[in-house]
Amino acid sequence: MALLETRGLSKSFGALAAVDNVSLAVQPGTLHSIIGPNGAGKTTFFNLLTGTFAPTAGDIFFDQKRITGTPAHRVAHLGIARSFQRTNVFPALSLLDNVWVAAFARRPSWSGLLWRRAERYPELVERARQALADVGLAEKSHHLARAISHGEQRQLELAIALAASPRVLLLDEPAAGLSPEESRRMVALVRTLKGRYTIVLIEHKMDIIMSVSDRISVMHFGRLIAEGSPSEIQRNPEVRRAYLGGVAA
Amino acid sequence: MKLRIAAVLTAVFVLPLLVRPAIATEIWIFAIFGLGANLLIGYTGLLSFGQATFFGSAAYVAGYVLKYYGLSVFAALGIGIGVGAVSAAAVGYLCVQRSGIYFIMLTFALNQLFYFVAYQWTSVTGGEDGMPGIPRPVIAGLDFKSPLLYYAFVSALFLASLWAMQRLVGSPLGKILQAIRENELRAAAVGYDVARFKLLAFVIAGAFSGLAGVLYAMLFGIVPLEAISFVFSGNVVFATLIGGSGSLYGPVIGAVVFIWLSESVSVLWERWPLLLGVAFVIVVLFLRGGVVEAWSRFIAWRMRWRSSKRAA
Repeated sequence: MALLETRGLSKSFGALAAVDNVSLAVQPGTLHSIIGPNGAGKTTFFNLLTGTFAPTAGDIFFDQKRITGTPAHRVAHLGIARSFQRTNVFPALSLLDNVWVAAFARRPSWSGLLWRRAERYPELVERARQALADVGLAEKSHHLARAISHGEQRQLELAIALAASPRVLLLDEPAAGLSPEESRRMVALVRTLKGRYTIVLIEHKMDIIMSVSDRISVMHFGRLIAEGSPSEIQRNPEVRRAYLGGVAA
Repeated sequence: MKLRIAAVLTAVFVLPLLVRPAIATEIWIFAIFGLGANLLIGYTGLLSFGQATFFGSAAYVAGYVLKYYGLSVFAALGIGIGVGAVSAAAVGYLCVQRSGIYFIMLTFALNQLFYFVAYQWTSVTGGEDGMPGIPRPVIAGLDFKSPLLYYAFVSALFLASLWAMQRLVGSPLGKILQAIRENELRAAAVGYDVARFKLLAFVIAGAFSGLAGVLYAMLFGIVPLEAISFVFSGNVVFATLIGGSGSLYGPVIGAVVFIWLSESVSVLWERWPLLLGVAFVIVVLFLRGGVVEAWSRFIAWRMRWRSSKRAA
């Protein structure tokens, strides 16, 4: 049974069909990648999944339940967490507070919202520290998010998503704008998350995709043109024409 | 932390020796007003130019019931806090639908709306003449007509407000509001209904404004029309920014500076708002954190200076 599924999902901006009739099923525990050239509609697809945009047509199912049209803040409570392509953190807060806020959001009860001190939620502080440790930022927990390097901000980006203890993790180009060295570290990091979470990954870099994915879907001009295992995708002639060109032959 | 509490307590005891009790009282009332405004401006990043709406509404309603129904002080305070919160809920509900400049203009426009209601409804508010004859009732045999006794009463409420605000900004709510200030999109993505949290910040700020409004009405025995005017809204924004927005003690320091300047310097120099304007420009250009930041920079500078002297 698929954990996250879309059926005929579409989103148009005026005459532009950014996402066009996409049906996709993510199996629990797998790492499912979505690839495609720039402007293929990958990020828009994520924005539909997380409720940032409402789809023009089609449906989204999470754990067999229809969640189409659920606003972003409620999608987060269902257990779908995302990281962003452009760094999207809370700059003037400490790293610990960045992840603490994400951890608190997913707490079943918001008791003490107005008066209990933030440190007096030991299980949240623990989870926040764990999320920072998972991405290798444990020592910097008291730095401000705006004071760390770009590569570290990308790691923090991921930690904020992890702190929510998600059932599905949507990662939008986690290695975007990273140096080769930072990029390698990010891949290693994503690899450690694999198996612990169900992950949907958008990525440009083919080496990353081919080495970590269980399954790959290829988008082109808003449409899904192929789906399969990494080796199937590498062999698929239509994918080569649309995306890989002759380079990855 | 302990040092700060000691400093505030010292200020509370020393202030009436330095200035007239009425001015000292006004300072702490304005500080309560500022604490609420700072929750919006400093912590949530919402520049509300309409805080006098809640201050003035509470002052009028509580003033009215005090004058005609002879309620106890605590009932009046409760009513004022309630009116502040409810009016803030109504205004806030409309304002949080928009952001940026449109948000600011909405808070301002709704403030003007309330102002003109007060201006026209002369049978109740007295219009331009204000609503006079508001008594300071007696509680437990203590007559608040004595300025010092009333000062003590207001000081106690100010300390209680400061304590409450300190709990609020240290609570999960405080962190969530700051997260919203820093990045609304991400705050929504991790699971917070941004509009609802902004509204909550409005209601709390309105309650603080309401409390300040009632105390103000009882202090002067009159609700002047300006208590609900945009000038008053601007003043509290000024005071908060000069003191240091986004830090707990910023609006308190701002209130001391602002009221002291307006009450003491205005006697000596008619054009004192010029001074305020200069201070404001300096803060905006060089010192975003206001007096609080100036102080922490001074401490850092002194530490560097000392260590360099030791090294020499």
